[in-house]
Amino acid sequence: MDEIEVSLTGSGRGPRSEVLAVGGGNSCETVRSLLPRGLLNSCPAGVASCPASSCPFQSPRWPRLTLLESVLLLGPRPTPSAMEFSELIRTGGAQAKLLRGPEVPPLHGTLCVTGHHLLLSPGPQATSDLWLLLLRSVDSIEKRVSGDSGTITLRCKDLRVLQLDIEGVEATRDIARSIEALSSLESVITSFPFFYRPKGLRLGDAWHFHPPERYYKRVARETNAWRLSEVNEDFSLCPSYPRAVIVPRAVDDDALACCARFRQGGRFPVLSYHHAPSGTVLLRSSQPLTGPQKRRCAEDEELLWAVLAGARPGARGFILDTRSAQAAKQARMTGGGTEARAAYPGWKRLHRPLERGRPLQESFVRLVEACGYLAQSTDCWRSRLEACHWLGHVKEALSTACLAAQAVEREGACVLVHGAEGTDSTLLVTSLAQLILDPSSRTVAGFQELVEREWIQHEAPTFLLFLDCVWQLGHQFPLSLEFGEGLLLALFEHAYASPFGTFLCSSEKERCLCEVRTRTHSLWSGLNQPKEQRKLRNPLYVPSPLAIWPSVEPQSLRLWQGLFLRWTRPNLQR
Amino acid sequence: MSLLRGLLGMELIGTSVRLFLDFREKLASLDSALILDVPLGVISRIEKMGGATSRGENSYGLDITCKDMRNLRFALKQEGHSRRDMFEILTRYAFPLAHSLPIFAFLNEEKFNVDGWMVYNPVEEYRRQGLPNHHWRITFINKCYELCDTYPALLVVPYRASDDDLRRVATFRSRNRIPVLSWIHPENKTVIVRCSQPLVGMSGKRNKDDEKYLDVIRETNRQISKLTIYDARPNVNAVANKATGGGYESDDAYHNAELFFLDIHNIHVMRESLKKVKDIVYPNVEESHWLSSLESTHWLEHIKLVLTGAIQVADKVSSGKSSVLVHCSDGWDRTAQLTSLAMLMLDSYYRSIEGFEILVQKEWISFGHKFASRIGHGDKNHADADRSPIFLQFIDCVWQMSKQFPTAFEFNERFLITILDHLYSCRFGTFLYNCESVREKQKVTERTVSLWSLINSNKDKFKNPFYTKEINRVLYPVASMRHLELWVNYYIRWNPRIKQQQPNPVEQRYVELLALRDEYIQRLEELQLASSAKLSDPSPSPSSPSQMMPHVHTHF
Repeated sequence: MDEIEVSLTGSGRGPRSEVLAVGGGNSCETVRSLLPRGLLNSCPAGVASCPASSCPFQSPRWPRLTLLESVLLLGPRPTPSAMEFSELIRTGGAQAKLLRGPEVPPLHGTLCVTGHHLLLSPGPQATSDLWLLLLRSVDSIEKRVSGDSGTITLRCKDLRVLQLDIEGVEATRDIARSIEALSSLESVITSFPFFYRPKGLRLGDAWHFHPPERYYKRVARETNAWRLSEVNEDFSLCPSYPRAVIVPRAVDDDALACCARFRQGGRFPVLSYHHAPSGTVLLRSSQPLTGPQKRRCAEDEELLWAVLAGARPGARGFILDTRSAQAAKQARMTGGGTEARAAYPGWKRLHRPLERGRPLQESFVRLVEACGYLAQSTDCWRSRLEACHWLGHVKEALSTACLAAQAVEREGACVLVHGAEGTDSTLLVTSLAQLILDPSSRTVAGFQELVEREWIQHEAPTFLLFLDCVWQLGHQFPLSLEFGEGLLLALFEHAYASPFGTFLCSSEKERCLCEVRTRTHSLWSGLNQPKEQRKLRNPLYVPSPLAIWPSVEPQSLRLWQGLFLRWTRPNLQR
Repeated sequence: MSLLRGLLGMELIGTSVRLFLDFREKLASLDSALILDVPLGVISRIEKMGGATSRGENSYGLDITCKDMRNLRFALKQEGHSRRDMFEILTRYAFPLAHSLPIFAFLNEEKFNVDGWMVYNPVEEYRRQGLPNHHWRITFINKCYELCDTYPALLVVPYRASDDDLRRVATFRSRNRIPVLSWIHPENKTVIVRCSQPLVGMSGKRNKDDEKYLDVIRETNRQISKLTIYDARPNVNAVANKATGGGYESDDAYHNAELFFLDIHNIHVMRESLKKVKDIVYPNVEESHWLSSLESTHWLEHIKLVLTGAIQVADKVSSGKSSVLVHCSDGWDRTAQLTSLAMLMLDSYYRSIEGFEILVQKEWISFGHKFASRIGHGDKNHADADRSPIFLQFIDCVWQMSKQFPTAFEFNERFLITILDHLYSCRFGTFLYNCESVREKQKVTERTVSLWSLINSNKDKFKNPFYTKEINRVLYPVASMRHLELWVNYYIRWNPRIKQQQPNPVEQRYVELLALRDEYIQRLEELQLASSAKLSDPSPSPSSPSQMMPHVHTHF
């Protein structure tokens, strides 16, 4: 008798349901944003504990925590890791065979589970090294027992599918349970980055590489119309914004507080990019909370007015709403909405609906399925690819970014981008528009800075869609990006499971709480090693001051094979 | 000779005739001038559109269909008979054969500092392969093209087969195209042999000499396993060919051979498929269902089958250590595709610029791929059923391989596109005529310039800066539909929405990188010379850059 059991990691575990019960109403929003970024399925969290010694509540510098946040991030119980992991590891190890795909020879050895890794140690006669898998990169696990052995199939967040053939039914069950438990541990501070201490890297290095403040200070200095505000120093205005934000000089901190209350999640309009040649700016925010009564907010209106006044006399503005007009209108029923034309003179609203959330997720899942091993037959491959509609999303994202960039460069207009929360499609558009317009964002350092500045908080798979769009730019403009596919692939991997701390947490606030900067290594310090750099750079790169306008014709957009067919592609030289 | 008030003109550039249009006067507002430069050889069809009574803008003029995936439409004014003159002149020069005029290549007086006709010397090429050896000999039996008029003069055949044997085998092979060696594996001595179908016919005829001959081939590398025969056609087509006297090797007659069909379709299917590709890319790209429209052309499916077949041939020879015999019907279309692609996979020499030129000269030109019939050089019969994009398909396969192995080829995309452009242009003699015997009669090498003269005198333009020479590497491309792509830079290059930057910045960058590499090589050479001088080595022979390449690569 075969026994099949499928479970998605982290789903249905006790602590999560408790936490969700604690939340409620508005706080549910927060819960969701704190949840880890699962990819093929959203894998919400269990909660583990925090070392008492590092408990930040003592310091006045630390922001106040809600009960809910403290539970989620730090855990209710004191004390550490090793002990606790050992409770979850239910196995001493087993003999196993690892299958990594059709073209790679299988590995035989002893399979062990540690706090953060699954490892396969080949026998003494073997020539190959230890094989390691970060447990956090496991997206789902499927167990199958038959006779006196078992098979575990792991789907990883980097789209790999691994199969483990294990001797012994009990061993299989134990290993599966251990992987399930450990890969769904979502307490930030017990995650691997807090333990990862590679040789040659010093803690704290590279965290100072790309502070957003530096960019903002530069803009403030150059324009005189903008200033750096510390109104969000304790994250009280907007928990998902950084401490430092850049706003029109004419607007004071009290007005900002009002604006924040008028925008969902407190994301009031802030500068995303200053286009020096035209003197105009790209802004981003969340939707205004106009509600069914079409509320207005004088401070918010003044802020946008000040933006135009600061650009140049008579400057115009476009509000680029990433929802359809219909959806924006409907949002009023739930308290949201969009800017009324009469309230914002000089601003014209455009709607460019971009798919997000579930439809985007489903498109991505369909594409991954079509690209997987299980899709043995490649009959009608192109029709199936078309049906996934992923490239359609790529096209829409690039066109919308082009529109924003065009408004800035050709029309000399200011552009405010937002959808509902202003955390996914919005970031996609603002960051792509910068790549199109700004040569410095196409350098390795500039791109890293852009990712740090714009993608502090992101949801899968929008970040992946962003990377795909960047890849399309690189494909269409082979000389224009200083970095190659390697960097994009590295960002993809590290965004979803990484030994580095850069992509941990969903906001600056959480990052401070968890002391990410002092207790983990920055991904950039890893990637900026000379040895790594060689692999990540584009040898054809030639700096050019021009904007790059991508083509969104169907024949110009293509599947990113390096990512989607990475593991099904036989061993080719890259 | 100006034809249309200075707007449309036809000029002689060099001495090759081309249509040359300059829109600069008319469209001065454009950022850059739009100049249309069409070699007349590329024209497949010229039609008049509209009549004296046609009304409306652009309804009267000429419609020109080209062989390179584009159509041109010239709107003319009805007054002054300008169209009649233009039509006549264009027709005359685009289709010189119909007007007893020479093909342009014979008028071309271009001079290059390299003679491309010297590139291919069959004796040297076979010597490079280590031939003749104990088992294979070079024969001049076809010196006067008497054995087979579509084969080259020089052939490599089994040592144990006498010239009389060859003559007897020839009677049993379609158009006398007997099995001869194309390539021999340097280590395991297995071979790729090409020929045409056996003349089995409805009655299932057998020929003892042919059967013995194939067995002799099998034994040349003392292999015990069976000789592998790849029939490029679909099984049904091979069976159907019996009706016209052809067929395939049956198990009964050839005990020591194993036959596989590779399911590659014939020239007519390929022609229709490419026509569909043209329909979806020109003049406008099918927007809404691009991918499924592309799929419905089946073009990439055909590419896949050709590549898959070549991979099987290469794999059998390299890993299966079995000699391989390849044929289709006449052995000049699909057979040429399969042998040349397999050789490209197996032998890194063919991946250099010169090696590739030799491969084309040998497997395609000398072995009688009917370029004149397939392309229709200078011929006005645009609907000729003999026309087919077989060579284009081969180049497409090469492009697919170069995409999958970006460092394996010395040449770049421009090289492949240049070859295709001059496949039609008739500026060079390289692709003229159907076979070597006719070319010799027409004294093509004396009277025309070779395409390789153009390319080899300006090699840097065609080089891939990422090329890394790897002598013994066998390339197995992935022939799955997922990994094959439409060659947009070729098939859709005329689409006005695809911006063609001139000069192409990527090519410029390639040239810079190549110069940089040469500079490093030279510096390394100097340093090595200096250090060897210091050591006062008595024999400091300066090594050539090419010898030092592997060394340099370790330093990069």
